[in-house]
Amino acid sequence: MSRLLDVRDLVIEFDTRHGRKRVVDGVSFHLERGEVLGILGESGSGKTMSTLAVLGLVGGRPGVVQGQVLFDEGAGPQDLLADLGRVVKPRGDRLVKNDRRWQRLVHRTMRPLWGRAMTAVFQNPRHSLDPLMTIGAQVEESVRLAQPELDRAGRAGRAVEWLARVQMNDPKRVHSSYAHELSGGMCQRAMIAVALARAPMLLIADEPTTGLDTTVRAEIVALFRELLADRRRSMLYISHDIREVLFLADRIIVMRHGKVVETVAVADLKAGVGERHPYTASLLAAADLAFEAAA
Amino acid sequence: MGGRAERIAFWGSGAIVALVIAIGLVSPLIGYDPAAAVDYEQKLLGPGAGHWLGTDAQGRDVAMRLMKGTEAFFLPGLMAAGIATMAGALLGAIAGYAEGWGRTLVVGFLQLVDTLPRLIFIILVCTILNPSITLIAGVAGVLFIPSIATVIRRKVEALGSEDYILAHVAHGFSTTRILLYHILWLQARPLLIRQATYVFGYVLFVETALSYLGDYGVQEPTPSWGNMVAQTRELGGASAWPWVFPAVAIAVTIAAFLAFGNLLARRDEEAIR
Repeated sequence: MSRLLDVRDLVIEFDTRHGRKRVVDGVSFHLERGEVLGILGESGSGKTMSTLAVLGLVGGRPGVVQGQVLFDEGAGPQDLLADLGRVVKPRGDRLVKNDRRWQRLVHRTMRPLWGRAMTAVFQNPRHSLDPLMTIGAQVEESVRLAQPELDRAGRAGRAVEWLARVQMNDPKRVHSSYAHELSGGMCQRAMIAVALARAPMLLIADEPTTGLDTTVRAEIVALFRELLADRRRSMLYISHDIREVLFLADRIIVMRHGKVVETVAVADLKAGVGERHPYTASLLAAADLAFEAAA
Repeated sequence: MGGRAERIAFWGSGAIVALVIAIGLVSPLIGYDPAAAVDYEQKLLGPGAGHWLGTDAQGRDVAMRLMKGTEAFFLPGLMAAGIATMAGALLGAIAGYAEGWGRTLVVGFLQLVDTLPRLIFIILVCTILNPSITLIAGVAGVLFIPSIATVIRRKVEALGSEDYILAHVAHGFSTTRILLYHILWLQARPLLIRQATYVFGYVLFVETALSYLGDYGVQEPTPSWGNMVAQTRELGGASAWPWVFPAVAIAVTIAAFLAFGNLLARRDEEAIR
Protein backbone atom coordinates (compact mmCIF):
# COMPACT_ATOMS: atom_id res chain seq x y z
CA MET A 1 0.00 0.00 0.00
CA SER A 2 1.25 3.41 -0.81
CA ARG A 3 1.43 6.39 1.46
CA LEU A 4 -1.81 8.06 2.42
CA LEU A 5 -0.43 11.56 2.16
CA ASP A 6 2.70 12.98 0.66
CA VAL A 7 3.26 16.71 0.79
CA ARG A 8 6.16 17.90 -1.29
CA ASP A 9 7.92 21.22 -1.45
CA LEU A 10 4.96 23.25 -0.22
CA VAL A 11 5.27 27.02 -0.34
CA ILE A 12 2.73 29.41 1.19
CA GLU A 13 3.06 33.17 0.96
CA PHE A 14 1.02 36.10 2.19
CA ASP A 15 0.97 39.72 1.15
CA THR A 16 1.35 41.93 4.19
CA ARG A 17 1.87 45.64 4.68
CA HIS A 18 5.57 44.94 4.76
CA GLY A 19 5.60 43.13 1.46
CA ARG A 20 5.26 39.46 0.72
CA LYS A 21 6.04 37.02 3.51
CA ARG A 22 6.85 33.36 2.98
CA VAL A 23 5.29 31.55 5.92
CA VAL A 24 5.83 28.02 4.63
CA ASP A 25 9.06 27.56 2.74
CA GLY A 26 9.44 24.32 0.88
CA VAL A 27 7.91 21.97 3.43
CA SER A 28 7.76 18.24 2.72
CA PHE A 29 6.34 15.50 4.88
CA HIS A 30 4.43 12.28 4.44
CA LEU A 31 2.01 10.11 6.34
CA GLU A 32 1.72 6.35 6.13
CA ARG A 33 -1.62 4.60 6.52
CA GLY A 34 -2.52 4.16 10.16
CA GLU A 35 0.28 6.42 11.24
CA VAL A 36 0.20 9.41 13.56
CA LEU A 37 2.54 12.18 12.53
CA GLY A 38 3.22 14.85 15.12
CA ILE A 39 3.94 18.32 13.83
CA LEU A 40 5.78 20.29 16.43
CA GLY A 41 6.63 23.96 16.39
CA GLU A 42 5.97 27.29 18.01
CA SER A 43 3.32 29.75 16.84
CA GLY A 44 4.20 31.17 13.46
CA SER A 45 6.35 28.22 12.50
CA GLY A 46 3.97 27.39 9.65
CA LYS A 47 2.66 24.12 11.13
CA THR A 48 -1.01 25.09 10.98
CA MET A 49 -0.73 26.57 7.48
CA SER A 50 1.03 23.46 6.18
CA THR A 51 -1.83 21.25 7.31
CA LEU A 52 -4.62 23.63 6.29
CA ALA A 53 -3.05 23.51 2.83
CA VAL A 54 -3.79 19.78 2.71
CA LEU A 55 -7.47 20.65 3.16
CA GLY A 56 -7.31 23.61 0.79
CA LEU A 57 -8.45 25.90 3.58
CA VAL A 58 -5.60 28.40 3.58
CA GLY A 59 -7.30 31.79 3.60
CA GLY A 60 -5.58 35.03 2.65
CA ARG A 61 -3.63 35.95 -0.43
CA PRO A 62 -1.91 34.58 -2.28
CA GLY A 63 -1.75 31.50 0.00
CA VAL A 64 -0.50 28.24 -1.48
CA VAL A 65 1.72 29.10 -4.44
CA GLN A 66 3.78 25.96 -4.96
CA GLY A 67 3.98 22.31 -4.06
CA GLN A 68 2.30 18.94 -4.36
CA VAL A 69 -0.22 17.28 -2.08
CA LEU A 70 -0.42 13.61 -3.03
CA PHE A 71 -3.38 11.91 -1.41
CA ASP A 72 -4.23 8.26 -1.93
CA GLU A 73 -7.76 7.18 -1.23
CA GLY A 74 -6.91 3.68 -2.35
CA ALA A 75 -6.81 4.09 -6.12
CA GLY A 76 -3.27 5.44 -6.24
CA PRO A 77 -1.92 8.84 -5.28
CA GLN A 78 -3.63 11.92 -6.73
CA ASP A 79 -1.93 15.29 -6.65
CA LEU A 80 -4.55 17.64 -5.23
CA LEU A 81 -2.50 20.59 -6.41
CA ALA A 82 -1.86 19.20 -9.90
CA ASP A 83 -3.46 22.23 -11.53
CA LEU A 84 -1.61 24.75 -9.41
CA GLY A 85 0.51 25.68 -12.43
CA ARG A 86 -2.59 27.10 -14.10
CA VAL A 87 -3.61 28.97 -10.94
CA VAL A 88 -0.29 30.55 -10.04
CA LYS A 89 1.78 32.27 -12.69
CA PRO A 90 5.02 34.19 -12.40
CA ARG A 91 4.73 37.88 -13.13
CA GLY A 92 7.99 39.76 -12.90
CA ASP A 93 9.83 38.45 -9.87
CA ARG A 94 6.80 37.22 -7.93
CA LEU A 95 4.06 34.63 -8.22
CA VAL A 96 0.53 35.87 -8.91
CA LYS A 97 -2.50 33.77 -8.11
CA ASN A 98 -5.85 33.71 -9.87
CA ASP A 99 -8.36 33.53 -7.01
CA ARG A 100 -11.24 32.20 -9.12
CA ARG A 101 -9.14 29.42 -10.56
CA TRP A 102 -7.90 28.58 -7.06
CA GLN A 103 -11.48 28.36 -5.81
CA ARG A 104 -12.32 26.07 -8.70
CA LEU A 105 -9.30 23.86 -7.97
CA VAL A 106 -10.32 23.55 -4.31
CA HIS A 107 -13.89 22.85 -5.32
CA ARG A 108 -12.91 20.15 -7.77
CA THR A 109 -10.11 18.28 -6.04
CA MET A 110 -10.35 18.98 -2.32
CA ARG A 111 -13.97 19.68 -1.52
CA PRO A 112 -15.12 16.13 -2.38
CA LEU A 113 -12.67 14.83 0.23
CA TRP A 114 -13.82 17.07 3.07
CA GLY A 115 -15.44 15.21 5.88
CA ARG A 116 -15.50 11.93 3.98
CA ALA A 117 -11.80 11.26 3.42
CA MET A 118 -10.15 13.96 5.49
CA THR A 119 -11.39 16.20 8.23
CA ALA A 120 -10.13 18.49 10.93
CA VAL A 121 -10.54 19.20 14.61
CA PHE A 122 -9.48 22.71 15.55
CA GLN A 123 -8.51 24.44 18.72
CA ASN A 124 -11.18 26.46 20.50
CA PRO A 125 -13.69 23.61 20.65
CA ARG A 126 -16.42 25.81 22.06
CA HIS A 127 -16.26 28.09 19.03
CA SER A 128 -16.00 25.19 16.64
CA LEU A 129 -19.50 24.00 17.49
CA ASP A 130 -22.63 25.64 16.18
CA PRO A 131 -24.01 27.64 19.13
CA LEU A 132 -27.59 27.20 17.95
CA MET A 133 -27.68 23.46 17.44
CA THR A 134 -27.69 20.70 20.01
CA ILE A 135 -24.58 18.56 20.12
CA GLY A 136 -26.67 15.62 19.00
CA ALA A 137 -27.98 17.45 15.94
CA GLN A 138 -24.41 18.27 14.93
CA VAL A 139 -23.19 14.70 15.25
CA GLU A 140 -26.28 13.65 13.31
CA GLU A 141 -25.31 15.94 10.44
CA SER A 142 -22.17 13.89 10.04
CA VAL A 143 -24.02 10.63 10.54
CA ARG A 144 -26.50 11.64 7.84
CA LEU A 145 -23.67 12.24 5.36
CA ALA A 146 -22.01 8.95 6.31
CA GLN A 147 -25.18 6.84 6.32
CA PRO A 148 -27.92 8.57 4.31
CA GLU A 149 -30.10 5.46 4.55
CA LEU A 150 -30.71 5.89 8.29
CA ASP A 151 -33.98 7.40 9.47
CA ARG A 152 -34.28 10.02 12.18
CA ALA A 153 -34.29 7.52 15.05
CA GLY A 154 -31.40 5.59 13.53
CA ARG A 155 -29.34 8.76 13.21
CA ALA A 156 -30.06 9.73 16.79
CA GLY A 157 -29.02 6.27 17.93
CA ARG A 158 -25.75 6.46 16.01
CA ALA A 159 -25.09 9.93 17.39
CA VAL A 160 -25.52 8.71 20.96
CA GLU A 161 -23.19 5.79 20.19
CA TRP A 162 -20.57 8.21 18.95
CA LEU A 163 -20.94 10.41 21.98
CA ALA A 164 -20.40 7.31 24.11
CA ARG A 165 -17.33 6.38 22.07
CA VAL A 166 -15.73 9.73 22.80
CA GLN A 167 -16.29 8.87 26.45
CA MET A 168 -19.03 11.29 27.37
CA ASN A 169 -20.34 10.46 30.81
CA ASP A 170 -23.97 10.90 29.94
CA PRO A 171 -24.29 10.65 26.14
CA LYS A 172 -28.06 11.02 26.14
CA ARG A 173 -27.95 14.26 28.09
CA VAL A 174 -25.08 15.61 25.98
CA HIS A 175 -27.06 14.71 22.86
CA SER A 176 -29.69 17.32 23.75
CA SER A 177 -27.25 19.91 25.15
CA TYR A 178 -25.90 23.06 23.53
CA ALA A 179 -22.21 23.92 23.34
CA HIS A 180 -22.48 26.63 26.00
CA GLU A 181 -23.81 24.07 28.46
CA LEU A 182 -20.71 21.90 28.17
CA SER A 183 -17.15 22.27 29.42
CA GLY A 184 -14.34 22.92 26.95
CA GLY A 185 -13.17 19.33 27.18
CA MET A 186 -16.65 17.99 26.48
CA CYS A 187 -16.97 20.34 23.51
CA GLN A 188 -13.74 18.95 22.11
CA ARG A 189 -15.01 15.39 22.58
CA ALA A 190 -18.16 16.38 20.74
CA MET A 191 -16.05 17.87 17.93
CA ILE A 192 -14.10 14.63 17.66
CA ALA A 193 -17.38 12.71 17.46
CA VAL A 194 -18.61 15.00 14.66
CA ALA A 195 -15.31 14.55 12.80
CA LEU A 196 -15.04 10.79 13.20
CA ALA A 197 -18.70 9.92 12.58
CA ARG A 198 -17.96 9.93 8.85
CA ALA A 199 -15.01 7.59 9.30
CA PRO A 200 -12.44 9.72 7.46
CA MET A 201 -9.05 8.20 6.62
CA LEU A 202 -7.20 11.31 7.68
CA LEU A 203 -7.85 13.36 10.77
CA ILE A 204 -6.07 16.67 11.15
CA ALA A 205 -5.97 17.80 14.76
CA ASP A 206 -4.77 21.38 15.02
CA GLU A 207 -3.76 22.05 18.62
CA PRO A 208 -6.93 20.38 19.88
CA THR A 209 -5.95 20.74 23.54
CA THR A 210 -5.05 24.42 23.52
CA GLY A 211 -7.05 26.32 26.09
CA LEU A 212 -8.09 23.24 28.06
CA ASP A 213 -7.14 22.45 31.66
CA THR A 214 -4.12 20.23 32.17
CA THR A 215 -6.09 17.20 33.35
CA VAL A 216 -8.60 17.61 30.54
CA ARG A 217 -5.77 17.87 28.02
CA ALA A 218 -4.43 14.54 29.20
CA GLU A 219 -7.88 13.00 28.80
CA ILE A 220 -8.29 14.31 25.26
CA VAL A 221 -4.85 13.08 24.24
CA ALA A 222 -5.62 9.67 25.73
CA LEU A 223 -8.92 9.64 23.83
CA PHE A 224 -7.12 10.28 20.55
CA ARG A 225 -4.73 7.45 21.29
CA GLU A 226 -7.56 5.06 22.00
CA LEU A 227 -9.62 6.07 18.97
CA LEU A 228 -6.61 5.59 16.71
CA ALA A 229 -5.38 2.39 18.31
CA ASP A 230 -6.94 0.17 15.64
CA ARG A 231 -4.69 1.88 13.03
CA ARG A 232 -7.55 2.30 10.59
CA ARG A 233 -7.15 6.04 10.58
CA SER A 234 -4.19 8.33 10.20
CA MET A 235 -3.68 11.60 11.97
CA LEU A 236 -1.66 14.75 11.66
CA TYR A 237 -1.37 16.00 15.21
CA ILE A 238 -0.25 19.59 15.45
CA SER A 239 0.96 20.88 18.77
CA HIS A 240 3.51 23.03 20.47
CA ASP A 241 3.57 20.59 23.37
CA ILE A 242 6.34 18.05 22.89
CA ARG A 243 4.97 15.74 25.60
CA GLU A 244 1.63 15.35 23.83
CA VAL A 245 3.33 14.73 20.52
CA LEU A 246 5.70 12.13 21.95
CA PHE A 247 2.80 10.34 23.62
CA LEU A 248 0.66 10.15 20.48
CA ALA A 249 2.88 10.15 17.43
CA ASP A 250 4.83 7.48 15.61
CA ARG A 251 7.03 10.06 13.95
CA ILE A 252 7.42 13.77 14.42
CA ILE A 253 8.50 16.64 12.27
CA VAL A 254 9.80 19.78 13.91
CA MET A 255 9.07 23.06 12.17
CA ARG A 256 10.62 26.45 12.61
CA HIS A 257 10.37 29.63 10.53
CA GLY A 258 8.35 27.87 7.85
CA LYS A 259 10.81 24.99 7.40
CA VAL A 260 11.03 21.42 8.58
CA VAL A 261 14.18 21.30 10.65
CA GLU A 262 13.98 17.67 11.69
CA THR A 263 12.06 14.48 10.98
CA VAL A 264 12.49 11.67 13.44
CA ALA A 265 10.73 8.47 14.53
CA VAL A 266 9.55 8.78 18.11
CA ALA A 267 11.08 5.42 18.95
CA ASP A 268 14.47 6.64 17.72
CA LEU A 269 14.11 9.88 19.61
CA LYS A 270 13.27 8.11 22.82
CA ALA A 271 16.12 5.67 22.30
CA GLY A 272 18.46 8.58 21.77
CA VAL A 273 19.42 7.31 18.33
CA GLY A 274 21.25 9.85 16.20
CA GLU A 275 21.95 13.53 16.69
CA ARG A 276 19.12 15.94 17.51
CA HIS A 277 18.78 19.24 15.71
CA PRO A 278 19.69 21.99 18.23
CA TYR A 279 16.12 23.36 18.13
CA THR A 280 14.61 19.93 18.86
CA ALA A 281 17.15 19.51 21.64
CA SER A 282 16.11 22.84 23.12
CA LEU A 283 12.43 21.83 23.00
CA LEU A 284 13.26 18.58 24.79
CA ALA A 285 15.32 20.43 27.36
CA ALA A 286 12.57 22.98 27.92
CA ALA A 287 10.12 20.14 28.63
CA ASP A 288 12.69 18.62 30.99
CA LEU A 289 12.99 15.51 28.87
CA ALA A 290 16.32 13.86 28.27
CA PHE A 291 16.65 10.74 26.19
CA GLU A 292 20.07 9.15 26.24
CA ALA A 293 21.27 6.46 23.94
CA ALA A 294 21.60 3.19 25.79
CA ALA A 295 25.28 2.73 26.46
CA MET B 1 -37.16 37.64 28.41
CA GLY B 2 -37.36 41.18 29.63
CA GLY B 3 -39.58 42.41 32.40
CA ARG B 4 -43.29 42.31 32.99
CA ALA B 5 -43.92 45.26 30.68
CA GLU B 6 -42.25 43.49 27.79
CA ARG B 7 -44.27 40.35 28.45
CA ILE B 8 -47.50 42.32 28.42
CA ALA B 9 -46.44 44.10 25.23
CA PHE B 10 -45.57 40.76 23.62
CA TRP B 11 -48.87 39.07 24.43
CA GLY B 12 -50.90 42.23 23.84
CA SER B 13 -49.43 42.91 20.41
CA GLY B 14 -49.56 39.20 19.70
CA ALA B 15 -53.29 39.13 20.46
CA ILE B 16 -53.92 42.02 18.08
CA VAL B 17 -51.81 40.40 15.36
CA ALA B 18 -53.67 37.12 15.86
CA LEU B 19 -57.01 38.92 15.68
CA VAL B 20 -56.07 40.71 12.46
CA ILE B 21 -54.81 37.46 10.93
CA ALA B 22 -57.96 35.61 12.01
CA ILE B 23 -60.18 38.31 10.51
CA GLY B 24 -58.05 38.35 7.36
CA LEU B 25 -58.52 34.60 6.98
CA VAL B 26 -62.23 34.48 7.79
CA SER B 27 -63.36 37.65 6.01
CA PRO B 28 -63.28 36.27 2.42
CA LEU B 29 -65.70 33.52 3.52
CA ILE B 30 -68.34 36.02 4.46
CA GLY B 31 -70.47 37.35 1.63
CA TYR B 32 -70.76 41.10 1.48
CA ASP B 33 -72.53 43.22 -1.10
CA PRO B 34 -71.55 46.87 -0.59
CA ALA B 35 -74.51 48.05 -2.68
CA ALA B 36 -77.06 46.09 -0.66
CA ALA B 37 -75.57 47.42 2.54
CA VAL B 38 -76.55 50.99 1.70
CA ASP B 39 -79.35 52.17 3.96
CA TYR B 40 -79.87 55.92 4.16
CA GLU B 41 -82.33 55.49 7.02
CA GLN B 42 -79.45 54.30 9.18
CA LYS B 43 -76.69 56.71 8.18
CA LEU B 44 -74.09 58.18 10.53
CA LEU B 45 -75.20 56.29 13.59
CA GLY B 46 -72.95 56.10 16.61
CA PRO B 47 -71.94 52.76 18.12
CA GLY B 48 -74.98 50.91 19.36
CA ALA B 49 -76.76 47.61 19.58
CA GLY B 50 -77.58 47.06 15.88
CA HIS B 51 -74.31 48.45 14.62
CA TRP B 52 -71.54 47.95 17.15
CA LEU B 53 -69.24 50.52 15.61
CA GLY B 54 -71.93 52.67 14.04
CA THR B 55 -72.63 53.35 10.37
CA ASP B 56 -71.11 55.55 7.68
CA ALA B 57 -72.60 58.25 5.43
CA GLN B 58 -74.37 55.62 3.32
CA GLY B 59 -75.68 53.80 6.36
CA ARG B 60 -73.31 50.86 5.95
CA ASP B 61 -72.16 48.99 9.04
CA VAL B 62 -68.66 50.19 9.99
CA ALA B 63 -67.74 46.98 11.81
CA MET B 64 -68.56 44.92 8.70
CA ARG B 65 -66.62 47.22 6.43
CA LEU B 66 -63.70 47.25 8.84
CA MET B 67 -63.62 43.47 8.70
CA LYS B 68 -63.97 43.28 4.91
CA GLY B 69 -61.38 46.07 4.68
CA THR B 70 -58.66 43.67 5.90
CA GLU B 71 -58.84 41.94 2.52
CA ALA B 72 -57.30 45.03 0.96
CA PHE B 73 -53.99 44.49 2.73
CA PHE B 74 -53.93 41.01 4.23
CA LEU B 75 -52.94 38.79 1.30
CA PRO B 76 -50.98 41.59 -0.40
CA GLY B 77 -49.08 42.13 2.87
CA LEU B 78 -48.24 38.44 3.14
CA MET B 79 -47.19 38.43 -0.49
CA ALA B 80 -44.93 41.45 -0.10
CA ALA B 81 -43.39 40.07 3.09
CA GLY B 82 -42.85 36.74 1.36
CA ILE B 83 -41.21 38.28 -1.71
CA ALA B 84 -39.02 40.59 0.34
CA THR B 85 -37.79 38.05 2.88
CA MET B 86 -37.28 35.16 0.51
CA ALA B 87 -35.61 37.10 -2.28
CA GLY B 88 -33.78 39.30 0.23
CA ALA B 89 -32.41 36.31 2.14
CA LEU B 90 -31.37 34.53 -1.02
CA LEU B 91 -29.73 37.52 -2.69
CA GLY B 92 -28.14 38.57 0.61
CA ALA B 93 -26.64 35.11 0.99
CA ILE B 94 -25.31 35.25 -2.57
CA ALA B 95 -23.88 38.74 -2.05
CA GLY B 96 -22.24 37.62 1.18
CA TYR B 97 -20.84 34.35 -0.08
CA ALA B 98 -20.34 34.33 -3.83
CA GLU B 99 -17.43 35.85 -5.65
CA GLY B 100 -16.95 37.18 -9.14
CA TRP B 101 -19.60 38.39 -11.54
CA GLY B 102 -22.52 36.76 -9.75
CA ARG B 103 -21.86 38.87 -6.71
CA THR B 104 -21.26 42.01 -8.77
CA LEU B 105 -24.57 41.53 -10.54
CA VAL B 106 -26.51 40.97 -7.33
CA VAL B 107 -24.88 43.87 -5.48
CA GLY B 108 -25.52 46.15 -8.46
CA PHE B 109 -29.19 45.19 -8.55
CA LEU B 110 -29.55 45.72 -4.81
CA GLN B 111 -27.92 49.13 -4.95
CA LEU B 112 -30.07 50.18 -7.87
CA VAL B 113 -33.31 49.19 -6.14
CA ASP B 114 -32.12 50.73 -2.90
CA THR B 115 -31.89 54.17 -4.51
CA LEU B 116 -35.62 54.22 -5.34
CA PRO B 117 -37.81 56.23 -2.96
CA ARG B 118 -40.45 53.70 -1.99
CA LEU B 119 -43.78 55.53 -1.84
CA ILE B 120 -43.00 57.76 -4.80
CA PHE B 121 -41.87 54.80 -6.88
CA ILE B 122 -45.05 52.88 -6.06
CA ILE B 123 -47.19 55.86 -7.12
CA LEU B 124 -45.11 56.15 -10.28
CA VAL B 125 -45.66 52.48 -11.13
CA CYS B 126 -49.39 52.98 -10.50
CA THR B 127 -49.58 55.87 -12.92
CA ILE B 128 -47.89 53.83 -15.64
CA LEU B 129 -49.53 50.44 -15.09
CA ASN B 130 -53.04 49.52 -14.18
CA PRO B 131 -53.00 49.94 -10.40
CA SER B 132 -54.08 46.96 -8.36
CA ILE B 133 -53.29 46.10 -4.79
CA THR B 134 -51.47 42.97 -5.96
CA LEU B 135 -49.21 45.06 -8.14
CA ILE B 136 -48.61 47.51 -5.32
CA ALA B 137 -47.75 44.69 -2.94
CA GLY B 138 -45.43 43.09 -5.47
CA VAL B 139 -43.60 46.36 -6.02
CA ALA B 140 -43.42 47.01 -2.27
CA GLY B 141 -41.97 43.53 -1.77
CA VAL B 142 -39.29 44.12 -4.39
CA LEU B 143 -38.47 47.54 -2.93
CA PHE B 144 -37.73 45.93 0.43
CA ILE B 145 -35.38 43.30 -0.99
CA PRO B 146 -32.23 45.46 -0.60
CA SER B 147 -32.70 46.31 3.06
CA ILE B 148 -33.25 42.65 3.96
CA ALA B 149 -30.47 41.47 1.65
CA THR B 150 -28.04 43.93 3.25
CA VAL B 151 -28.74 42.64 6.75
CA ILE B 152 -28.39 39.04 5.63
CA ARG B 153 -25.24 39.78 3.67
CA ARG B 154 -23.58 41.29 6.74
CA LYS B 155 -24.60 38.27 8.76
CA VAL B 156 -23.20 35.85 6.19
CA GLU B 157 -19.95 37.79 5.93
CA ALA B 158 -19.55 38.00 9.70
CA LEU B 159 -20.27 34.30 10.21
CA GLY B 160 -18.03 33.30 7.32
CA SER B 161 -14.98 33.87 9.52
CA GLU B 162 -16.42 32.04 12.53
CA ASP B 163 -14.54 28.93 13.62
CA TYR B 164 -17.59 26.73 13.58
CA ILE B 165 -18.48 27.60 10.00
CA LEU B 166 -14.90 26.69 9.04
CA ALA B 167 -15.36 23.46 11.00
CA HIS B 168 -18.62 22.74 9.13
CA VAL B 169 -16.74 23.21 5.88
CA ALA B 170 -13.92 20.90 6.96
CA HIS B 171 -16.49 18.29 7.97
CA GLY B 172 -17.85 18.35 4.45
CA PHE B 173 -21.24 19.97 5.07
CA SER B 174 -22.49 21.38 1.77
CA THR B 175 -22.38 25.10 1.11
CA THR B 176 -26.11 25.16 0.43
CA ARG B 177 -26.85 23.54 3.76
CA ILE B 178 -24.49 25.83 5.66
CA LEU B 179 -26.01 28.92 4.01
CA LEU B 180 -29.67 27.94 4.14
CA TYR B 181 -29.84 26.05 7.40
CA HIS B 182 -26.94 27.04 9.62
CA ILE B 183 -26.84 30.71 8.68
CA LEU B 184 -30.25 31.75 7.34
CA TRP B 185 -32.50 29.54 9.42
CA LEU B 186 -30.59 29.21 12.69
CA GLN B 187 -28.78 32.53 12.85
CA ALA B 188 -30.78 34.98 10.77
CA ARG B 189 -34.30 33.86 11.69
CA PRO B 190 -34.90 36.71 14.18
CA LEU B 191 -33.74 39.23 11.59
CA LEU B 192 -36.11 37.78 9.01
CA ILE B 193 -39.07 37.79 11.42
CA ARG B 194 -38.44 41.44 12.21
CA GLN B 195 -38.13 42.40 8.55
CA ALA B 196 -41.16 40.40 7.44
CA THR B 197 -43.49 42.02 9.96
CA TYR B 198 -42.07 45.40 9.06
CA VAL B 199 -42.83 44.86 5.38
CA PHE B 200 -46.35 43.68 6.25
CA GLY B 201 -46.93 46.85 8.27
CA TYR B 202 -45.54 48.90 5.42
CA VAL B 203 -47.99 47.40 2.93
CA LEU B 204 -50.88 48.31 5.22
CA PHE B 205 -49.46 51.81 5.39
CA VAL B 206 -49.09 52.09 1.62
CA GLU B 207 -52.55 50.70 0.95
CA THR B 208 -53.99 53.17 3.44
CA ALA B 209 -52.06 56.07 2.01
CA LEU B 210 -53.02 55.29 -1.59
CA SER B 211 -56.66 54.61 -0.77
CA TYR B 212 -56.79 57.82 1.22
CA LEU B 213 -55.25 59.78 -1.60
CA GLY B 214 -57.89 58.22 -3.82
CA ASP B 215 -56.77 57.45 -7.36
CA TYR B 216 -54.60 54.36 -6.95
CA GLY B 217 -55.92 52.61 -3.88
CA VAL B 218 -58.93 50.42 -3.31
CA GLN B 219 -61.96 52.08 -4.90
CA GLU B 220 -65.37 52.59 -3.32
CA PRO B 221 -67.64 50.78 -2.79
CA THR B 222 -65.11 48.04 -1.97
CA PRO B 223 -64.05 48.80 1.60
CA SER B 224 -60.51 49.43 2.71
CA TRP B 225 -59.34 51.07 5.89
CA GLY B 226 -57.79 53.83 3.81
CA ASN B 227 -60.91 54.77 1.87
CA MET B 228 -62.99 54.54 5.04
CA VAL B 229 -60.79 57.19 6.62
CA ALA B 230 -61.02 59.19 3.41
CA GLN B 231 -64.72 59.74 4.09
CA THR B 232 -63.67 62.41 6.53
CA ARG B 233 -63.18 64.71 3.56
CA GLU B 234 -66.80 64.47 2.44
CA LEU B 235 -68.18 64.55 5.94
CA GLY B 236 -66.20 67.50 7.16
CA GLY B 237 -66.84 67.69 10.86
CA ALA B 238 -70.37 66.32 10.62
CA SER B 239 -69.65 63.00 12.27
CA ALA B 240 -66.47 61.33 13.48
CA TRP B 241 -67.89 57.81 13.86
CA PRO B 242 -67.38 56.54 10.29
CA TRP B 243 -63.63 57.20 10.23
CA VAL B 244 -62.46 57.11 13.81
CA PHE B 245 -62.53 53.29 14.08
CA PRO B 246 -60.66 52.61 10.84
CA ALA B 247 -58.08 55.26 11.78
CA VAL B 248 -57.55 53.64 15.15
CA ALA B 249 -57.44 50.20 13.49
CA ILE B 250 -54.69 51.34 11.11
CA ALA B 251 -52.57 52.86 13.86
CA VAL B 252 -53.04 49.96 16.26
CA THR B 253 -52.46 47.28 13.64
CA ILE B 254 -49.27 48.81 12.28
CA ALA B 255 -47.96 49.41 15.80
CA ALA B 256 -48.92 45.89 16.88
CA PHE B 257 -47.22 44.26 13.89
CA LEU B 258 -44.01 46.20 14.37
CA ALA B 259 -43.97 45.59 18.12
CA PHE B 260 -44.85 41.93 17.82
CA GLY B 261 -42.23 41.31 15.12
CA ASN B 262 -39.62 42.98 17.24
CA LEU B 263 -40.52 41.21 20.45
CA LEU B 264 -40.89 37.84 18.76
CA ALA B 265 -37.45 38.27 17.22
CA ARG B 266 -36.08 39.27 20.64
CA ARG B 267 -37.56 36.13 22.19
CA ASP B 268 -36.08 34.03 19.41
CA GLU B 269 -32.68 35.63 19.94
CA GLU B 270 -32.80 35.07 23.67
CA ALA B 271 -33.99 31.51 23.32
CA ILE B 272 -30.94 30.67 21.27
CA ARG B 273 -28.29 32.55 23.27
